[in-house]
Amino acid sequence: METDPVLQTFIIESTEKVQEMESALLQLETSPDDEDTVNALFRAAHTIKGSAGVVGIDNIEKFTHTVENVLEKVRLGEIRVSEDLIGLLLRCCDHIGHLLKSLNAGKDPEENPELQTEGQAMAGELSAYLAVEGQGVSPEPDKETTEQGGTPEALTWRISLRFGRDVLRDGMDPISFISYLSKLGEITGLTTLTDAVPPAREMDPESCYLGFEIDFRSDAGRQAIEDVFEFVREDCEINITPLPATAPPRKTAGAEAGKQAQTREPGAKGAGTIRVDTDKLDQLINMVGELVIANANINQQARRIGDNSLLESAFALSRLVEDIRDRAMRVRMVPIGETFNRFRRTVRDFSRSTGKDIRLLISGSETELDKGVIEKIGDPLMHLIRNSADHGIEERDVRLALNKPENGVIHLNAYQETGSIVIEISDDGSGLNREKIVKKAVERGIISPGKELSEREINNLIFEPGFSTAQKVTNVSGRGVGMDVVKRNIEALRGSVEVESREGRGTTVRIRLPLTMAIIDGFMVKAGASFYIIPLDMLDECLEMSDTDKQLSFKRNYFSLRGKVLPFLRLRDIFNEPDGRNRREHMVVIRYAGGKTGLVVDELHGEVQVVIKSLGRVYRDVNGISGATILGDGTVALILDVPGLVRNLEKAAGALSYP
Amino acid sequence: MARTIMIIDDSASIRMVVSIALKKAGYEVIEAVDGGDALEKIKGRKINLIICDVNMPNMDGISFLKMIKQDPDYKFTPVIMLTTESQEAKKQEGRAAGAKAWVVKPFKPEQMLAAVEKLVLP
Amino acid sequence: MNINAQNNNGLCRLKIEDEMTISTAAGLKKALLDNLAGCRELEIDLSHVNEMDTAGFQVLYLARREADISGKAFRIVSPGPKILSVLQLYNMKGFFGI
Repeated sequence: METDPVLQTFIIESTEKVQEMESALLQLETSPDDEDTVNALFRAAHTIKGSAGVVGIDNIEKFTHTVENVLEKVRLGEIRVSEDLIGLLLRCCDHIGHLLKSLNAGKDPEENPELQTEGQAMAGELSAYLAVEGQGVSPEPDKETTEQGGTPEALTWRISLRFGRDVLRDGMDPISFISYLSKLGEITGLTTLTDAVPPAREMDPESCYLGFEIDFRSDAGRQAIEDVFEFVREDCEINITPLPATAPPRKTAGAEAGKQAQTREPGAKGAGTIRVDTDKLDQLINMVGELVIANANINQQARRIGDNSLLESAFALSRLVEDIRDRAMRVRMVPIGETFNRFRRTVRDFSRSTGKDIRLLISGSETELDKGVIEKIGDPLMHLIRNSADHGIEERDVRLALNKPENGVIHLNAYQETGSIVIEISDDGSGLNREKIVKKAVERGIISPGKELSEREINNLIFEPGFSTAQKVTNVSGRGVGMDVVKRNIEALRGSVEVESREGRGTTVRIRLPLTMAIIDGFMVKAGASFYIIPLDMLDECLEMSDTDKQLSFKRNYFSLRGKVLPFLRLRDIFNEPDGRNRREHMVVIRYAGGKTGLVVDELHGEVQVVIKSLGRVYRDVNGISGATILGDGTVALILDVPGLVRNLEKAAGALSYP
Repeated sequence: MARTIMIIDDSASIRMVVSIALKKAGYEVIEAVDGGDALEKIKGRKINLIICDVNMPNMDGISFLKMIKQDPDYKFTPVIMLTTESQEAKKQEGRAAGAKAWVVKPFKPEQMLAAVEKLVLP
Repeated sequence: MNINAQNNNGLCRLKIEDEMTISTAAGLKKALLDNLAGCRELEIDLSHVNEMDTAGFQVLYLARREADISGKAFRIVSPGPKILSVLQLYNMKGFFGI
């Protein structure tokens, strides 16, 4: 106790302050009205009290507090300085001195009855001064009683915060408050609201424009949560409401569960949900992937052995594994609504800055996509919406002249379609001008003059690098920058993009994305020495090629599928496998983007479930391959990039259009 | 890089209590006895937070605050005012001068630490 | 704060150093928007930023939003732990594609 440096400092400092008080009191005897002296006296007492409180010397704090209260009244002129008062205060100084000495000697003041009676007597005299003036000593707020009794249960709260414009300038940062909040419990959900951030020109970088919606689970009471924001309480809108403690009962999983789970109530966040680190989720999904592979291996072995009960068990296991796979994949699925909503702002700002009146219609918000896809789809969508707003929707007077409604509409829609998610961006603008597109493409050397192209091929020219049909270059979109980038980005997600347009009526861009990123159901084929996987949802049918078929098709460069023209590719040719034309071959018909294409392969190996492994450097630039997988027995199979292959075929075939 | 906090109070024991609590929590602490001393010591240093008593001899807390708010290097630095319950008027004066945070004396070290953590970036 | 800009064929690479805080927010806003205006693609290297507060975050958000509006590619590269922790806290990593 004696060696406590804080205590030593307190004793030395307070002894000095007591001396200061004494000399101030002596000075008051000669000049009782001197304000500076009164202030010095008050400050000295105030310091003793404050320090005693902080250091934790309760008796000195309590006593000096009463002294301070009297001095405060003296300072305010409510109590007049008298000889009696000066005498009393000098004795008070002595008493504080005694208390300090006792403290220095390491004695417990409680065990010194003399000091205690001395203190009580003086406190009584002091409070007489306070009572005479008709005001009692303001009771010391007891810090302990502000805590609510009992152990509160952990509750979930919704905390809505709208920070005032000046908080940052005042040195207060939402980051610090929210970080502090997270020490009192768990932030289970947080949305940063940025819609108040004004257009760039008006945005003051020192003002705060943010709001937050926070779901917070904590056993700290409401008061404790409110106290987190006490410094900003007067400058911010703060709303703290309890959320229902239990989650609404979940729908039972049935046969429809698969479809049901693809949609969910938008905004049904918070209650009954937990936040999980995506790393953990990815690890889990990776493990599920391994499980799928191991299971495939067991199935292979079971079939080889041919034992019925083993086959049955393996089959039961497969069903479970498939179920686990589906559910695990679904955990990563999030509704696209939030991404869509981001564009409301974009469209509004665009409307303002260009004077075009554009409305954004959103549907299919509840459609779920893989989280990884959602994160990467924002950019391409932004490009496309900007493009619609800038190049698609006409100026107001043009629209009026055409008898179109004054305000243009951009429609964002999402839905699920066999094995893929479709996102559509439609506008009711001028549509693509095919003549102009062809002219431009020729000018730019993208196509040779006089070449016959289908409508679809012309439309798709806009995705060629460096293509622009804008009549005038606007600030907003520049020079049609990015349609090629859009396409590249979407293809990187194993998706595809196509455009449909009616002149004068509008344009629809349709993006197709795979349901999941990590596992696909595939159809395995062999060509030459290698195995290839065709995404199952693209498979239409398989045909054995007769010798006549072969001879005819190689002469004509197309295959006759029940009298219809089917363009085709030979996998052996594409991947430089030695020629095997004299062998038995199969024609695999794939369906993609509304058309059909044939793939000639050697062997059909049937359906497989594969986990996509990212391609190593070696394969990254190989055209026609989108990934690889390792089969149950360790063999590597390559996953065919069907969109890429079809594109190559279209290029090679030139004017050949789809049947 | 440790956050640096300046504590300005004429009471050495309060400075010490605050300083010990903050250093234990990983902060660097600079002590000053009054506004004038603080202006001397602050020069050229990056300060993340200032804790300042309102009532001090020489230069009091409010005058110091007004000077700090003029200085481009420190005008955005958060300030915690140390007040007592009897100083509601001073507190309002402090708020008007730009100190939106306060801690009422006497305080426990953990109360001070809580206030600091609400204001200093993690 | 120090900002290094390299403009190459429409791709602008910005390297920001030191801090992105309220003290530097005004300069940061101007630098980001000016560079954005003069490029097709903006890449911001944040590896040398050792502090970001809400003012810094807001300016970064604004730049990203402006890039979206004008259809320009916008990328953050090598954000340091301070940046990541702010984006994590604000649940805005996805917005910046991180």
